[in-house]
Parts: sequence; C-alpha cells; structure tokens
Amino acid sequence: MAYDPALVSALEPDQLVAATKRPYPRRKLSRGVLALLVVLRVFIVIAVPIVIYAFVHALLVPQ
Amino acid sequence: MSENTLNLGFSAPSASGDERITYEDVLRAQDRLKVLKSRAAKSSLRLLWLLAGPGVLVMLGENDGPSMVSYATTGATYGIGFFVPFILLTFLMAFVVQEMTVRLGAATHRGHAELIFQRFGPFWGYFAMGDLVFGNLLTLVTEFIAIQAGGLYFGVPSWASVTIGVALVIVSLTFRRYATWERVLMGLAVFNLLFIPAALYAHPDGAALSRALAAWGPLPGGFTLAFLTLILANVGATVTPWMIFFQQSAVVDKGMTRADVPQGRTDTAIGAILAAIAAVATLVAAAPLFAAKVDVSTFANGADFATALVPLIGSTGATLFALGILEAGLVAAMTISTSSSYALAETMSAAEKAPARHSLNLDFAHGRLFYGVAIASTVLAAGIVLIPGAPLLAMTLTVNVIATLLMAPALLLLLLLANDTEIMGDLANGRWANLAGGTTVVAIAVVGALYGVITAFPNLLPK
Repeated sequence: MAYDPALVSALEPDQLVAATKRPYPRRKLSRGVLALLVVLRVFIVIAVPIVIYAFVHALLVPQ
Repeated sequence: MSENTLNLGFSAPSASGDERITYEDVLRAQDRLKVLKSRAAKSSLRLLWLLAGPGVLVMLGENDGPSMVSYATTGATYGIGFFVPFILLTFLMAFVVQEMTVRLGAATHRGHAELIFQRFGPFWGYFAMGDLVFGNLLTLVTEFIAIQAGGLYFGVPSWASVTIGVALVIVSLTFRRYATWERVLMGLAVFNLLFIPAALYAHPDGAALSRALAAWGPLPGGFTLAFLTLILANVGATVTPWMIFFQQSAVVDKGMTRADVPQGRTDTAIGAILAAIAAVATLVAAAPLFAAKVDVSTFANGADFATALVPLIGSTGATLFALGILEAGLVAAMTISTSSSYALAETMSAAEKAPARHSLNLDFAHGRLFYGVAIASTVLAAGIVLIPGAPLLAMTLTVNVIATLLMAPALLLLLLLANDTEIMGDLANGRWANLAGGTTVVAIAVVGALYGVITAFPNLLPK
C-alpha cells in the first residue's frame, strides 16, 4: 500500500504488524519455574471441577 | 530495544510502498506522530492526555454492574467504617498488578494472550484464552443483567434496554479506529462518577469518613462469614483476569513504547484513583440502608438498591444511582467483549491456526474474527438474559467462582512474564516491583481461591 515513510517512521521497527507476527521463542524454563507450572496445573485440575460443581449446584437452586 | 532483549531481526521500512506496512500501521503511526511531537515540545499534559486511556478504561471498566452491587451491599451491611480504607487498598493492589501489563505491552508490543502462548507453549496459551473467553461470556451476562435492571428502574422493558445495550456495543466497534473507540469509551466511563453526587445526596458524615480512614473501623459484628465473604467479594470486584489481558492489548493497540511507560503508569494511577472514589461513593450512597436496618440479602441487582434508596436519599440520588448501574454495565460490556476479541484473535494468531489480526484499527474485512468474537459474545450474553427462566443466578455465581479461582494462574503467569528479562530487558520487575507484585499476587491468589471455594461450598464454614 502507498504510505508516507515519514509518517510510518513514527513507529518503532519492532512495532510494525509484520514485526509483531514474528513469534518470540519458547522460554527456557528453570527448574523452579517448571515446578511452579506443575503446581499450577495441579491447581487447575482441582479448580475446574469446583467451577463445574458450582455451576451445576447453582442450577439446582430455585431462581 | 535494550541490549539484553531478544532480537527478532526486524529492520525499519526503507521506502514508500513497502508491502510489510499495513493500514493498521499507518493509523497507529498517525497517533504516534502526535505523541512524538508532544514529547519534542515538552508538553507534559498533552502527552499524558494522548497516552492516557488503557489504565482509565480498565479501572473504570472493572467498576462494572456486579462490582457496584458488591460495594452497595458492603455499604448497606457495614455502613461507613472498615471497608472504606479496605476498598482503597484493593485499588492499590489493582494498580500494582495493572502497572506490570503496561510495561509488558510497551516492551514486547504483544498482547498478553499471545505472549503466554509464545513463551509458555500451547497448553497455557489455550488454557488462558479459553478460561478468559468463557469467564468473559458469563461476566457479559451479568453486565446485561445490570443494564436490564437499570432500565427497569426507569420503566424501560427488559427487551428494549438489552437491545439498546447490544446496539451500543456494536456501534462502538464500528469506529474501526482504536483512538476513537478509546475516547468515546472514556467519555462514557466518566459517568461512573455519577455515584459521587448520589453519595452526596446521602449526606455522609465527613467525620465518620475520616475516622474510618484513620482507624480502619468501626466493624459492626466483628469477624463473621458475611464479613469474610464481603472482603473476598471486594477484592474480586477490583482485580480480575480480563483486566490483565485487556490493558496489555490496549497498550499495544495504542502503540505505546518504552518511552511511554511513565505516562502509562500515571494513566493507570489516575484510573485507580477515579475508580476507587466511585467505589467508595457507592458504599457511602448505600450506607443509609445500614442505618435504616434494611435487609439487602434478597436484593438481586442494582435497581433493587436504587428503589430501596428512594425514601432515604431522595429520588434524584436514587436516579443517579440507577444511572450509574446502567453505565457500569454498558462500559464493562464494551471493554470485556473487546478483551475476549483480543485474547482469542491473539491466541489464534500465535498458534498460526488462522490469519487472525487483533486491533481496533482493523477494517471488518481484515478483522472478521476479532470483531466477530466481540459481537457474537455480546449478542449471546444479551440473548441469555432475555430467555425466560434462564439460570442467571447460577451464571452469576459461576462467574465469581471462575474469576476468583482462576485468578491465581493468571497472576502467576503475569509475574513470570514481568520477570522475563529476555523480552522485558530493563523493564523487567526489579526487587521492589517483585516484592510489591509478589505480595499482591500471593494475597489476591489466596483470597481468590478462598472466595471461589466458599462460593462453591457455602456451607463449608460455620455461619
């Protein structure tokens, strides 16, 4: 598309849409972070059934 | 970009007609040019005006229908006392959390959802997005309940107020320009401050307010389950997952850079202060219900409060209260639906599942998924509210459980990203930011998990 280069130079190069499409690589996780993410997964395994239970239980409560 | 950040090898465009430049870039560049000129002219106030927006919108947006009902319930249950300074503390916590999203957006030019996907992989990427979009859909239902309730106070039938609400959300998406969308919403969000004149009609005792702020009291009834529930509800009313995703995406869409972080912080602080004032005003406006010993446990929405306040603060005050509830639901519907759009399109884009772009600067042809998510979730939520016998109470309760239980993963991922020096460079959390952020994150995560469990299992603790 036609554009004024002076105008677009107001953006930083890594701010352009084309630049932001280049993904950051996966982060190399330390043991501590890995352990934290494992704990988070366990938390989610516990939390999701609670959410489902809360919804089903609330459905049974008279409106 | 600082030296220790990842270099993705992108160079500046060199000539007119570069095919890498999109219309979205051009629109963003127009906004940036104004910022650069203001910075060069050392015009601090104009610079702040140009860069303000995401922080004010996210804070006033979170003062949504259910949040204002929480503050009103608090005022009607405890009056002016402990909860006045406590609400101010929760907004300080919100500022600490949201400030990290400003730095993340400015440093990486990536939305929160795509950053999680890229740095932590598909599991966390899809989980964060799915959790957010589902939670946002249920939250949108509660916003339309607020719009419906506000309308009913003025005698507007449910179908009419909900339809008008949907139409306004869709109209807000037709600007196809982030800057216009932001300014229009900021104009609407100012009406959140209607709770201030409503509070003045309650003739609050200035000395009682001062004592509450100085002594964190009184606390009638002491430490009970009701007190604990309101503590948790007030925290849940101030910090929620959609805020994190929304503000970071808005910072990116606005085109903010590392140089703009100080103004981004100020914007967030101003938003937190305004929202805190509106929240305390709501508590103060509802405090006469406490003095009159009105039982609010059966109140279902903000309109019930407004109706009950008529004989206590007058019809003008009650009308302002009802208008505030309407505004709270409407602005939140606009920001929350956009938060879903950003998160879903960012995740699809990061997963390379679809050529999904994510910006309010897009036209409809390039932003079908982006705009489609906001419109579809808004229409769906509004439709659910209008279904006779729909389990709205179940949905409201589930929103609380989802938002609070799943706040822990959202906050911990935020903290990990804010400490990621490869992408953040010198904007990564320092020792003090980690102390403040870490303490806040742990406090909110624990409180949130507790609230989720208590909401799901109300008989777990003795009354």
